[in-house]
Amino acid sequence: MRERVAYARGSAGLPRACALLVCGLFMYTTPAYAAPPLVLVVAADASDFVLAAGGTIAKMAEAGSAVYVIRVTNDEKDSWGLPPEETALRARAEADSAARALGVKEAISLGYRAAELADVSFSGIRDRLIFYIRHYKPSVMFIPNPYSEYDRVLDRYYTGAAAEDAFRVAALENFQLPHGDVGLAPHLTPELYYYAQPLDPRRKEPESTATFVPRPKSVDIASTLPKKLAAAAALKTSNESTARRLKARLDATGRRLPILDTVDESSIKRLAEINVRGLGTTEEFRYAGVEFRIPRKYR
Amino acid sequence: MYTVILLVSCVAAFGADALPLGKLPKGKVVMALQPHHDDHTTDYGMGGLIARFVDEGYEAYYVRASNDEKDGSHGYARNDMINLREAEEATRILGMKKVISLNWRNDYMGPVPLDELRAQLILLIRKYRPDVILGHNPWEHYQKNPDHRNVARAMAEAWWMAGYENVHPEHVKIGLQPHQASYLYLKARLDWGLGHTPNIAIELNESQVRRKQQAYQTHRNVYANPASARGVKAALARESLMVPEFEGLDDQEAAVRMEEWHMDWISRVRGKQAGVTFAEDYFFVDEFDHLPGLKAYLKENVSAK
Repeated sequence: MRERVAYARGSAGLPRACALLVCGLFMYTTPAYAAPPLVLVVAADASDFVLAAGGTIAKMAEAGSAVYVIRVTNDEKDSWGLPPEETALRARAEADSAARALGVKEAISLGYRAAELADVSFSGIRDRLIFYIRHYKPSVMFIPNPYSEYDRVLDRYYTGAAAEDAFRVAALENFQLPHGDVGLAPHLTPELYYYAQPLDPRRKEPESTATFVPRPKSVDIASTLPKKLAAAAALKTSNESTARRLKARLDATGRRLPILDTVDESSIKRLAEINVRGLGTTEEFRYAGVEFRIPRKYR
Repeated sequence: MYTVILLVSCVAAFGADALPLGKLPKGKVVMALQPHHDDHTTDYGMGGLIARFVDEGYEAYYVRASNDEKDGSHGYARNDMINLREAEEATRILGMKKVISLNWRNDYMGPVPLDELRAQLILLIRKYRPDVILGHNPWEHYQKNPDHRNVARAMAEAWWMAGYENVHPEHVKIGLQPHQASYLYLKARLDWGLGHTPNIAIELNESQVRRKQQAYQTHRNVYANPASARGVKAALARESLMVPEFEGLDDQEAAVRMEEWHMDWISRVRGKQAGVTFAEDYFFVDEFDHLPGLKAYLKENVSAK
């Protein structure tokens, strides 16, 4: 069963506790609820959150949420003809620009080297995320879905796994004891969205396991599609890499895609637009809300 | 024990849905990236597909990531040597050109640095330039073997990252250019729960199934063990039963015959599910599957030059 959600303007000025209560109550009474006061998006790279959750994030920002993005890697590998250092610099500027297009207040980069998270300390990434969770005290978090299979970019898996644990333990006082000395109190984020591009072939099938899983949730993003398109267009370095690699593959196998007969700024931008439109006007998530923590028998 | 394996396989085999038949992609080189000497020809896949790739003109290479020292009863060093020799013989039967050993310590690959293992795979992908990579499904659930888990995970990035010039740019210094494999065939056991859901069946002819059988039972150090035949014979004898086909065969020969039956049986089960005589099942990753937003557009607009 999927829940469709509309976001209404209006709660940004309310005291946080009151707003959270209102959010929680509204979830059980109506499909429309007030915009969460603060949204924290954890992303592995510059493009995953834009393509998988950009429309929903823009929708929340439009409705009044303050949105912050934490990008874990520096995207240094994803370019065409540029060295890693320059790629990382451009990717940072473009990630900032994409975030702005979605209405994000600030994009933070943790600077881990892209595609090298496999051997990075899991708890190292997690602990940095705990810091930001306790600092911003979000009411909603978006994280890459570590259970979304068949995504070849494993940075998204490692980031998602670390973020999921950070979401959990940021609320527990025995994690990161020095935080207490600098005024960072434990924080429980009420709502969690797991996002991913639709790569897993089984993603839309009913769950066949008894495992406790967050439920599917889809968000209509037709109204914010232009913002998502603008954000995707801002990722010029990554878009060029995708377009040129696609053309190289087609050339090597004696095929052509008319739009890429000439690869230039205009065709690269057009291809990125087709990609975003091809993902549709609905974004799908796994969602864990307040009720996620309440055993079924007590609901 | 053997009966249990057969029953478990049976449940898995008949529980699977019908799958579409897949054609092999055009290309020249196929590379199997696997942890162990025997993973190229298991009852749940690879041997038949490799034989078919070779029949269709591909050059085939086998990368064995571990040293297989634990497989067998001859001590670590001897096991390593015997298993490598048997892998060379088995891959020769399938028509493969070469076995490349990375020699990581068998069943101790849990703490192996994945970036280091991946770097080795990227180096080999850039040298041999495969169009197709075969491997264990890195998204398989309940996989208990650390070698399978980690080699699969390293492969899951190596196959496409080898095409990115910013990944290990030092390789260019020795003339190795970036190269991305375009297609993946992933296998895993079907009786271990969710995670591996095949999406394609590959039809095999009789000759390919026979080569797969022969390659499989070449791994005498771990399979086709006389003890398994003795066990089955003893169990049957307790009920005054016997297998006529075992008449005149010693335990070793009977064990080989049982392995052949098993491989024939599983190939027929997979074939029946796809409406052909023999088949193997895989999760196939196509060249543009990583671009979900562009797939429909590319299907409609890409044409031959």
